[in-house]
Amino acid sequence: MSIAAETDYGTPAVAARTDVTVTIDGHGVTVPAGTSVLRAAAEAGIGIPKLCATDSLAAFGSCRLCLVEVEGGRGTPAACTTPCADGMVVATDTDDVRALRRGVMELYLSDHPEDCAGCARGTCEIQALAVRTGVAEVRYGRGGANHLAEDRDESNPYFAYDPAACIVCSRCVRACEQIQGTFALTVSGRGFGSRITPGATDFLASECVSCGACVQACPTEALTETSLVALGMPTRTVLTTCAYCGVGCSFKAEVQGAGPDTRVVRMTPWKDGGANAGHSCVKGRFAYGYAAHPDRQLRPMVRNSIDDPWQEVSWDEAITRVAEGMRGIQERHGVGAIGGISSSRCTNEEVYLVQKMVRAAFGNNNVDTCARVCHSPTGYGLNHAFGTSAGTQDFASVEQADVILLIGANPTDAHPVFASRMKRRLREGGQIIVADPRRIDLVRSPHVEAAYHLPVRPGTNVAFVNAMAHVIVTEELHDVTFLRERCEEVEEFLHFIVRPENSPEATAAETGIDADQLRCAARLYASAGNAAIYYGLGVTEHSQGSTMVMGMANLAMITGNIGREGVGVNPLRGQNNVQGSCDMGSFPHELPGYRHVSRPEVREIYESLWGVTIQPTPGLRIPNMFDSALGHSFLGLYVQGEDIAQSDPNTQHVEAALRSMELVVVQDLFLNETARFAHIFLPGTSFLEKDGTFTNAERRLNRVRPVMPSLVGKDEWQVVCEIATAMGYPMSYADPAAIMDEIAATTPTFAGVSFARLDAEGSMQWPVTEAAPHGTPTMHVGGFVRGRGRLTQTVYVPTTEPTTRRYPLILTTGRILTQYNVGAQTRRTPNSTWHPEDILEIHPSDAQMRGISSGDVVALSSRVGTTNLTALVSDRMQPGVVYTTFHHPVTGANVVTTENSDWATNCPEYKVTAVQVTVATEATRAAYAGREAAVRG
Amino acid sequence: MTSGHAPHETPEMRLGHDLVRAFAHLPRERAAEEIATHIAKFWEPRMRHALMAQIRRGNTDLHPLLVRSAEHFVDGDIDRGEVREPSGG
Ligand code: SF4
Ligand code: SF4
Ligand code: FES
Repeated sequence: MSIAAETDYGTPAVAARTDVTVTIDGHGVTVPAGTSVLRAAAEAGIGIPKLCATDSLAAFGSCRLCLVEVEGGRGTPAACTTPCADGMVVATDTDDVRALRRGVMELYLSDHPEDCAGCARGTCEIQALAVRTGVAEVRYGRGGANHLAEDRDESNPYFAYDPAACIVCSRCVRACEQIQGTFALTVSGRGFGSRITPGATDFLASECVSCGACVQACPTEALTETSLVALGMPTRTVLTTCAYCGVGCSFKAEVQGAGPDTRVVRMTPWKDGGANAGHSCVKGRFAYGYAAHPDRQLRPMVRNSIDDPWQEVSWDEAITRVAEGMRGIQERHGVGAIGGISSSRCTNEEVYLVQKMVRAAFGNNNVDTCARVCHSPTGYGLNHAFGTSAGTQDFASVEQADVILLIGANPTDAHPVFASRMKRRLREGGQIIVADPRRIDLVRSPHVEAAYHLPVRPGTNVAFVNAMAHVIVTEELHDVTFLRERCEEVEEFLHFIVRPENSPEATAAETGIDADQLRCAARLYASAGNAAIYYGLGVTEHSQGSTMVMGMANLAMITGNIGREGVGVNPLRGQNNVQGSCDMGSFPHELPGYRHVSRPEVREIYESLWGVTIQPTPGLRIPNMFDSALGHSFLGLYVQGEDIAQSDPNTQHVEAALRSMELVVVQDLFLNETARFAHIFLPGTSFLEKDGTFTNAERRLNRVRPVMPSLVGKDEWQVVCEIATAMGYPMSYADPAAIMDEIAATTPTFAGVSFARLDAEGSMQWPVTEAAPHGTPTMHVGGFVRGRGRLTQTVYVPTTEPTTRRYPLILTTGRILTQYNVGAQTRRTPNSTWHPEDILEIHPSDAQMRGISSGDVVALSSRVGTTNLTALVSDRMQPGVVYTTFHHPVTGANVVTTENSDWATNCPEYKVTAVQVTVATEATRAAYAGREAAVRG
Repeated sequence: MTSGHAPHETPEMRLGHDLVRAFAHLPRERAAEEIATHIAKFWEPRMRHALMAQIRRGNTDLHPLLVRSAEHFVDGDIDRGEVREPSGG
């Protein structure tokens, strides 16, 4: 694809029931009422000069370049702020208008550098407008007062601000407010002295979250990507999908060169992206450099023992060794002695093939995916309640929500682009209730103030959600009609929930939530026209994770908040393709489309297509694989793109399990922590090399298109095919499109999906069926997928990880904006400028009691391990709870997390670990130094 | 059964006792059926066999409800309809 130009219509599209017709320069154009003249002209193909307007921002009317004449009207109004009226006749290019524009342009140019690099690159709109308005020279000269000598701000690693090129159109300020919702920029001073500033500091030290919206909005060279300055203009564009979080933003990868020499110049969010509508965060837009990082391992490697050095070998030799090793283990220890783990970082097509390889070539169901450790309770709970293991809405639905109940999620850090959408809704009048142990940004930040912050103590979510339902039912705020018409097990549930032990007063001691506050929050949720639940891993990663998901489903059903826009129960998925990897049959008990392996009619579909017999009993989940490895019945493991040694709980246990195996095969970009225990390393491909699809948190299938060929000589799906083939089960496809065709042919919810259709439609949300050929943005409209929605008696069961005198604090974990999961990608980019290490947040009273100050190195111990971290004393925490992230292998937060897990899915209870925090001693430092040496190799 | 896992529990016992805690609020027979169904639906056979071996050995650390649920495997007396529902998780 050559450079994909996007039309800038000047002002946002307007949704209106009625249309109006106007005549612009003699052309008739019909637009929704309320559309600006500027946009109507653009839609008619007439480009009115503009500087302060762009179609991602509300019209501002400051630059006076877009002046037009309206027949019968007075003066020359700005086209960007003038709405079309039916019958209006507009002239955009009269002598008067041209003269006025020339004058304006001259003023701009008199304070604009002559040697502006943007002119040379063609990225500066000023240059193009000067030509268009016929301004050859500046009558005022350039010697007057100007800003040409002001210093550049190069503090941000990804973009620079050059005040000399700034025309103070305030597009950046408005982008920061309206698109990102951070309010980091202001126009300081007045008139000629007015300047753009990120507060009284530089960009890096400011509130700026480096989303890049301002850079994208800037019409001049003032805000420019560092990469563009270093590399020059891109020569072609590839439309693809971000490989970080579950928002799944669409991007234009703007690149130079071809083949393996392709270089990404910049990533620009795609305006028509279904998930992101032209916005992005610092990870997706800027943190792609890891794909070309020198740490990438590009050749297959083998070794006989994990204590031996690695040896590079050919692909053929590596694949033969995998196949022979795996078959050998099966011959000695049985068919079930090997298995595979697929990754949510990989495409649907890659993941589908991993489960096929395990089921058809390995001959067992020992396949699992990293969703095991994040959102498996979502799959279980939503499926139990509604009949589908997925969120109920599209992202745009939040724009119709009156009240948002946010539980155990921190979208401004973990799902930033969705958070911006949410914040926009809150600025427009939506209300938010935040249930989270920490005072996250959505409790209070510029122009956001939560109606209630319920600081729920980790481990007590179910008591909290039951108390919410108790208030709603006992105060008769529930939707009796909805329950009667659409739900089942209603009487049992109502009888259960009104029991006094579920009241806010009875549960307050456990949850730590003030009963009155909870009552008010429950009333607000129940009485909203549209109330929507959004949640994250603070719900799922608990011993009652699945119960809590069902508890939230109860809440939505008793209030009738399901089955239309603006409502629902919505998981915010952590990784780009968690939804997809679950959909693709990566779980050991189910085939693609969440169909249990015990169902003969489902097995038959695959058995006849694949020509094998599929085991009718479930396989091992990831934690069961570790337990079985230690029990010597599981000895061979293929791991695709997941760093289990760092991301799974109780590191010592995982490491012992990995050490006890005969053959560990790791396929990854880097020699990660798990590779320390591997015998064969197969190089993986980055998202820039992949061809396939990702499915985001709203069930949206987005295309991932290769920007460059595989840098390792093979595509990952081919490697999986070759392993299966070498094991005696021939597997081959012409291309990834053919893999999707097989998925669509065998999985009813994907029946209408193909690469061709995705390319034509942009993206589609499953189910894509004959009845819903363009996909399904909102689920359970008019009826639940399982028929009736099932209410569940969600009895609260306290965690078996209670605090004790020895371990009196609760550790809970989370993410930070600039880093991602175990940091394998983001740590290899300048994102580490913001977050170079994991920090332990601790409440002032807990810190004082222990003699801890911010910046101290502290020892964090649980019953399974100890690590060292730097402390940050913070009243965002509540007393008794400490918090850290898990992005850095050296700190290894999972050294202290335990094997406790969700009763239904074995999802680890990462969010609740009883710990002690002390000032680090010589002994803990020595233990830590040993770990650091091992990790850093 | 609510005060934490015993340190000598095998993985199967630990997971089984998690199920006991999750279903303990139900009438005993219904709870036993739910646990048996869950195990049939989500446990790999070797885990089930390991649990059965513990039961056969008469391990007194096993919760009686877990022992009772295991009798359903022996009898094959579980709700197959439940297993056939979409599964999730
Ligand atoms: S990068 Fe984003 S957060 Fe930072 S100033 Fe620009 S718009 Fe605001
Ligand atoms: S919000 Fe998520 S998907 Fe979008 S750019 Fe950021 S990390 Fe990528
Ligand atoms: S574009 Fe209309 S006033 Fe600036």
